[in-house]
Amino acid sequence: MATCGECTFFFRVPENADDFEPDKGDCVTEKRDEKGTYWLSRPVFVSTDSCTQFQKK
Amino acid sequence: MATMAPAVEYKGKVIDFPFENPEEEKIPDDELHEHLAKPSTERTKRLKARCRWKHASAGEFVEHGVRAGIERMRLVTEAHKASRGKPEVTRRALILERCLNKGTICLQTDEKIIGYHAEDPNYFPLYPELSYMNVKDYLMSDYSPQPEAEAEAINDYWKPYSLQAKCEQYFDPIDLTRMYQVSTMEAPTFAHGYNSIIPPYETVLEDGLLKRIKMAEEHIKEAKAELAKEPWDGSKQLSWIPKIDNWQAMVIADKAVIAWARRYARLCKIVAENFESDPDRKKELMEMAEISNRVPAEPCKGLKDAFQAKWYTFLVCHGIERYASGFAHKEDKVLYPYYKASVIDKTFQPMTHADVVEYVEMERLKISEHGAGKSRGYREIFPGSNDLFILTLGGTNRDGSDGCNDMTDAILEGARNIRTTEPSIVFRYSKKNRPQTLRKVFNCVRDGLGYPSIKNDDVGIEQMKYYSKFSMNNNGATDEEAHDWCNVLCMSPGLCGRRKSQKTRSEGGSAIFPAKILEITLNNGYDWAYSDMQLGPETGNAEDFKTYDDLLEAFRKQYSYVMSLVVRAKDVGRHIETQYLQIPFVSSIDDGCMELGEEATHLSEQPNGWHNPITTIVAANSLVAMKKLIYDEKKYTMKQLMDALKANWEGHEEMRKDFKNAPKWGNDDDYADTIIQSFYEDILGGEMAKVTNYSGGPVLPVGQAVALYMEVGSRTGPTPDGRYGGEAADDGGISPYFGTDTKGPTAVLKSVSKVQKNQKANLLNQRLAVPMMRSVHGFDIWHAYMDTWHDLNVDHVQFNCVSTDEMRAAQREPEKHRDLIVRIAGFSARFVDIPTYGQNTIIARNEQNFGPQDFEFMNLELGQ
Ligand code: SF4
Repeated sequence: MATCGECTFFFRVPENADDFEPDKGDCVTEKRDEKGTYWLSRPVFVSTDSCTQFQKK
Repeated sequence: MATMAPAVEYKGKVIDFPFENPEEEKIPDDELHEHLAKPSTERTKRLKARCRWKHASAGEFVEHGVRAGIERMRLVTEAHKASRGKPEVTRRALILERCLNKGTICLQTDEKIIGYHAEDPNYFPLYPELSYMNVKDYLMSDYSPQPEAEAEAINDYWKPYSLQAKCEQYFDPIDLTRMYQVSTMEAPTFAHGYNSIIPPYETVLEDGLLKRIKMAEEHIKEAKAELAKEPWDGSKQLSWIPKIDNWQAMVIADKAVIAWARRYARLCKIVAENFESDPDRKKELMEMAEISNRVPAEPCKGLKDAFQAKWYTFLVCHGIERYASGFAHKEDKVLYPYYKASVIDKTFQPMTHADVVEYVEMERLKISEHGAGKSRGYREIFPGSNDLFILTLGGTNRDGSDGCNDMTDAILEGARNIRTTEPSIVFRYSKKNRPQTLRKVFNCVRDGLGYPSIKNDDVGIEQMKYYSKFSMNNNGATDEEAHDWCNVLCMSPGLCGRRKSQKTRSEGGSAIFPAKILEITLNNGYDWAYSDMQLGPETGNAEDFKTYDDLLEAFRKQYSYVMSLVVRAKDVGRHIETQYLQIPFVSSIDDGCMELGEEATHLSEQPNGWHNPITTIVAANSLVAMKKLIYDEKKYTMKQLMDALKANWEGHEEMRKDFKNAPKWGNDDDYADTIIQSFYEDILGGEMAKVTNYSGGPVLPVGQAVALYMEVGSRTGPTPDGRYGGEAADDGGISPYFGTDTKGPTAVLKSVSKVQKNQKANLLNQRLAVPMMRSVHGFDIWHAYMDTWHDLNVDHVQFNCVSTDEMRAAQREPEKHRDLIVRIAGFSARFVDIPTYGQNTIIARNEQNFGPQDFEFMNLELGQ
């Protein structure tokens, strides 16, 4: 199974960040509904199983 | 064509009332409000058009797609399980840390102030650690968190740990059942989790959290040294242990908040670099990233910093660490130093006054889309409202000088432009307030926003000094600090600033219903009209009361029973909060908690006890009618009255007319006012003041109504004031009953000013005629009225300035009247979002026209 680490929406957390952990990333996805566009970010890891929004890098 | 106010003859002159803005002559009366919104920029116009409103009507969310999220429930539960064995305050810090570290964060188009407290901007979080009944209520609704089975399991897990379960065991089941009826009293806080707080925003903006962490770490170091001192004295040294735990929890909480803000900074940068194509927006996003990297970790240097750091603090204090309603702060005072830096001195984040107004509009829209997981009961009592977001402006500074500044003006301008119902504004009226700001206050009032709601600055200051005397650590408000007050929610002042502010609702809030108490007083404590059960002690039947004093004495006993029970419920809740619902982030930003190593739910330096009598005037007018017609004139017997009431006046129409026509409050009528003054001061206030709460001070009445006057009115049977069973009760703490104040606006003031003793606050609703207010003389009349109100030492007044024509038109075609706003009680709402029952109570309010006798009393000079 593909993992978050291979996904376009995976952005690695920099080493100097307060919440840094090895292999941790921000999953940032764009959403759109009748009110407009917004972006969500939640923590994932390189090895986290991909979700339905997975898009290969 | 718009209606113009008719000319008035005054002091031998004919005074005409042409419109101040002649263009308004062409706007029909029934569409005026649709012409008043003027968002100041294209951005705020877009933001308003796409605002994700979270208000409810008749208990249902008005906007499609709004619902409870599961993420906070899930994270709180994971952290609670993972932290078993640690000190409770540490667990609370770790729960917050997990929510901030692992929760989803959100950024929306166009916004410059970022941050939300749920996993999606259409959702709001729930708080299973507070009330399992409240979560259950959502599980049974269309707004249930998903997946529902998981949410159900989480709620089951929390049931034994919840505030509700921990409190219930200290109450007799009969008392609990009585409280849960919401008939003579509001249900206890532990049953619904409703809460309020005044966060000490100042420490975050002035110090930054890194400094707060350093302070806590230094205290820990000192405390450990004290703990290790020889020879050991357990009677003293052990007291350092809970302090160390508290400071350590503060450090965890503050570090988590900094890291969370920096996650937002990263999100802005990622979106700018990977998703956004507009170069201007990219630049904005990079600036937002830079700001969130710096604040709230460091002190704010400019106004953009301050808006953002304040917003993060708001989210944590009101929505993430724990739920709390409100938006309590003295916003002009909090923001002015940064306004000065950015607008006047231009030392950091240089901007114009117009830029500030845009920020105000953006903040108002952020508040409008901030969701609160209130229980259905609470959604019903705030129809058309989101969550009693109320900020305070004006008043005086610590040295007694005028508290208005250019930030005050920007906030009022932004509010008038963007025309949202929330946040509501309280303006502290002082004779020292500068005219240019008063004019802006008036502009909002005249535009029918229903706010600013006006509070008497001097009354508030004296009140802070009075409560200070009861401080249990002799560190209540100093005379200078007494000037730093804001309303906690709709009506009650509380200290604000770096320390001594209210941190939890046990201090004040929640309601008692005098009209219903009178009803059960007449029936030996039995509620025949709604709950069909014994709601209070057996104090005899109406027919047993040989004198008016006998009747009053029975009422006093019923009222005292409820008062002690409701404050006990709040204080038991407070006790449990200190053990299991600590708020280490709030502790970390309060100077008192930081200095003393105390927890915010535990430390109380300035008592501020109050409870809200709602439906007082129905009870008071009923007492007047009974005294006059039964005890004084003996026109009817009590048995006749009771028969008529039990029949809801049917078959007793003539008798009802007599009771309805008995003297009523608000007409400067000595007979009625003497009875009612004594009812307020000796019974409602006097009995309440005998109760001492957690903080060691007296509990005093804050008469107000939210929309409970409708809800409780519908639960209250027919009353001796001539009211039919189920009709709405009076709409404010001291407002005359709808349509019964017939002697003009100054007669209302004269009546209201008679009540002074044993009161904390009393809400006065007045409805002003639109044509006179929009005329060339509008401001002068209002200003003279306000000075008269102030000189009579009245605590509060707020206005509806909307025509009956426009409200009727909105009832016919709601879709054409989306911007019609009205004042309900402590909050404003879009008229079309209020149920018809509620709309009709606004229409029924007497529209006050000022006449020569009012001008005379107000000592007003009117030119042509
Ligand atoms: S959670 Fe889904 S969208 Fe996010 S990084 Fe992983 S695979 Fe991509």
